[in-house]
Amino acid sequence: MMDMDPQMAAALQTFFEESRDLLQDMESALLFMEEQGADLERINAVFRAAHTIKGSAGLFGLEEVVRFTHRLENLLDRIRSGSKMLTPSNITLLLSCGDHINDYLDRLASASPLDQHFLAEDLRLLAALQSALEEKSISADSVSKKGAAEPFSSGNALEVYAQDENPTGTDYEFPSENPVKTAANWHISLRFGPDTFRDGMDPLSFLRYLQQLGEITGLVTLTDALPALCVMDAETCYLGFEIGFRSVADKASILDVFDFVKDNSTIHVLPAHSQIAAYLKMIQQLPEADQHLGEILVAVGSLTSEELEKALALQEDTDQAGQHLPLGEILVDQQMVQEPVVHGALEKQQQQRESKNAERQMLRVRATDLDHLVDLVGELVIASAANRLFAGQEDLEPRLESATQVARLVEEIRDGALQLRMIDVAELFQRFPRVVRDTARTLNKDIRLEISGEGTELDKSMAEKISDPLMHLVRNAMDHGIEATEERLAAGKSAQGCIKLHARHDSGGIVLEVSDDGGGLNREKIRRKALEKELITAEQMLSDGEIYALIFAPGFSTADTISDISGRGVGMDVVRQNIESVRGRIEINSTPGQGTTMRIYLPLTLSIIDGFLVRLAQDTYVIPAEAVEECLEYPQTHGSIGYMELRDQPLPLLDLSTVFKKTVFTENRRNIVVVRHGMERIGVVVSGILGNQQTVIKPLGKLFERVPGVSAVTILGNGDVAPILDIPTLIQRHYAISAKSAPVH
Amino acid sequence: MTKNILVVDDSASLRQVVSIALKGGGYNVIEACDGVDGLAKLAAAEKIHLIISDVNMPNMDGITFVKTLKQKPEYKFTPVIMLTTEAEEEKKREGQAAGAKAWVIKPFQPQQMLAAVSKLVLP
Repeated sequence: MMDMDPQMAAALQTFFEESRDLLQDMESALLFMEEQGADLERINAVFRAAHTIKGSAGLFGLEEVVRFTHRLENLLDRIRSGSKMLTPSNITLLLSCGDHINDYLDRLASASPLDQHFLAEDLRLLAALQSALEEKSISADSVSKKGAAEPFSSGNALEVYAQDENPTGTDYEFPSENPVKTAANWHISLRFGPDTFRDGMDPLSFLRYLQQLGEITGLVTLTDALPALCVMDAETCYLGFEIGFRSVADKASILDVFDFVKDNSTIHVLPAHSQIAAYLKMIQQLPEADQHLGEILVAVGSLTSEELEKALALQEDTDQAGQHLPLGEILVDQQMVQEPVVHGALEKQQQQRESKNAERQMLRVRATDLDHLVDLVGELVIASAANRLFAGQEDLEPRLESATQVARLVEEIRDGALQLRMIDVAELFQRFPRVVRDTARTLNKDIRLEISGEGTELDKSMAEKISDPLMHLVRNAMDHGIEATEERLAAGKSAQGCIKLHARHDSGGIVLEVSDDGGGLNREKIRRKALEKELITAEQMLSDGEIYALIFAPGFSTADTISDISGRGVGMDVVRQNIESVRGRIEINSTPGQGTTMRIYLPLTLSIIDGFLVRLAQDTYVIPAEAVEECLEYPQTHGSIGYMELRDQPLPLLDLSTVFKKTVFTENRRNIVVVRHGMERIGVVVSGILGNQQTVIKPLGKLFERVPGVSAVTILGNGDVAPILDIPTLIQRHYAISAKSAPVH
Repeated sequence: MTKNILVVDDSASLRQVVSIALKGGGYNVIEACDGVDGLAKLAAAEKIHLIISDVNMPNMDGITFVKTLKQKPEYKFTPVIMLTTEAEEEKKREGQAAGAKAWVIKPFQPQQMLAAVSKLVLP
């Protein structure tokens, strides 16, 4: 990024992030209005987004963004003022504009060039904005003077930064930008308005600032307007100045110095020693006695005494009536006019504050910092458990008490730290209205999206990992789930299909649901396809759930034709893998003719789980508590066969000691922990049960990461390492082994 | 003593850039993200010598913010620079009526903001 200083580069990063958020807000508001009709508050939010991006882009000299958003703002302003309607085609246009700005920012951030495709889109949108403005315009005022289809000047994003040094497109003249001219003498006559102090202005700062433009050659302070001390108001400004000034700046630049006070003050800037009539006019307009003023001008050096005499003579000749200064009166008028407007604005503001306001105050934190904190808290949990353990051994009451206290606080910190990683599921869902809208158009289906369960929170990194699978499920449901309109009408359903996205908490985890009101899964079709792909054999008797689960098998796809929307059948198995990679699982419910619900079960967090501790010989193992269904005592009379009867159902048994090849002396009392993954259950035979404990997950090192049946480890309070069992793999392996040995039976 | 400038704008990047420019000019900068935050920062600060406020902000807009702060005796004489755009003539007038007598038109260059500030308050 060229010679941008690090502070500005950091600010630019902020700008990128902020703009993306604003564009997202803009998109949400537009989509909402497309559904529910326009409302002023959302139009204003859209306007504000464009406005803020424009304002900040100007600071970075991103003139393309400024120019583009300026056009966008023009249209939005018309919509806001009611002279344009927020038509569906305008919404589509505004959405495309949002995408375009996003695209531009992405290119800028990655320093990739603005290619032909981008430029073509730019021209298309600018033209579209222009025609949207012109189309049946109520007030036929001309749009920006800049050409409608002005192309981008540069083909390279880097060049945009180069424009920093040469700001253009602003209507603000900065003195130093003027071409070098020879210094000239000026006379400046100032009468500060009585409200100057009350307006927060200090005459002195203006004079100091004036010195940046040139040299003050002479200055007289006029105190003529000062009343007697007893009637003087300390808050009123009575001061006037006559100034001789030498500068290269032109008149406009000098006047610009007093821009902020010009409305209430009398300011004259004249070239020195010239235009007697101009001086005369000025003298007549000023309140001080003419003779006195003339002497001051001479004292300041702006007039010579001869010039003054000439001027006074001229005055006698013409004897013009004094012109009044209308400025003050205008302002009073303005204030009277503005008063009701201000009240109106206040009331509106009040209403807005009362209504639910989505714009919350946020603090941005680096994700890595947060991860580090959560990591440390994990260590703290372990250390605190050890602390309490040793305190218990010492048998010292106060020590144990304080250790318990610490442990409790640590637990609270842990909850708090994990909470920091949580985001509202609404953030995950926010991209879907747009996806559903666009996909529905591509598919030529009428589909609405219903979102519920906002306020449910989930881990940010989990949200990131689950976002794409969720997207795939939604698209899949739209493409394959929801029938074509004719089909729906024939089945007696409404023409409009519906996709529902729902989130809720469920026993220490989160459930995300994608439902459609389409035709449901076709059991026979799936079965046939699975046979074709040799995923199952013809003899296998499968439950509905097992059949449905087949669609997650690698390479499985029932779509008769490959479409753009849901891809080439690589999706669903990847969906399942992604969900399982965050220790989640997916289930399908489907009713023929009524629709399908995909249910994703996710753990609350990725770094700490509820562990169920079991003992095998002298070692401790952890089973994720979510997998545990129940615990049984190992039947004393039971031999060493590989299954048992549980409530008239066969339950396969898996002896951990054989899995991990541990020698276990026959113990009198062994236990069975019944665990479940998906549809499959298995009984894990262990030496003893130790109970529930919050378990901090520590990943396995490179050397051990391929150990089958172990997904990670944790560190116990006493410092021992305990493996966390990978239940899905254990179940799979067990079934695979049983299948191999099946012919023997 | 370094002069304190309060910058109230909902755009974090704008605040960041303005802050860089003003700090470069020898001022101290305090940032706030909207009117409500602005009032909170005013209450917490020892003394604010100048306030820069955007007009269009969530929670509490610039006009309401200026009207509210101008009712406080300690900020009666504090200069306020309003940030407006060309399109917002009416807002500008509302802002002036509320007590913001200076303004800078968006989009602006960082140096223009420094110039506007130094007209009103010496560093």
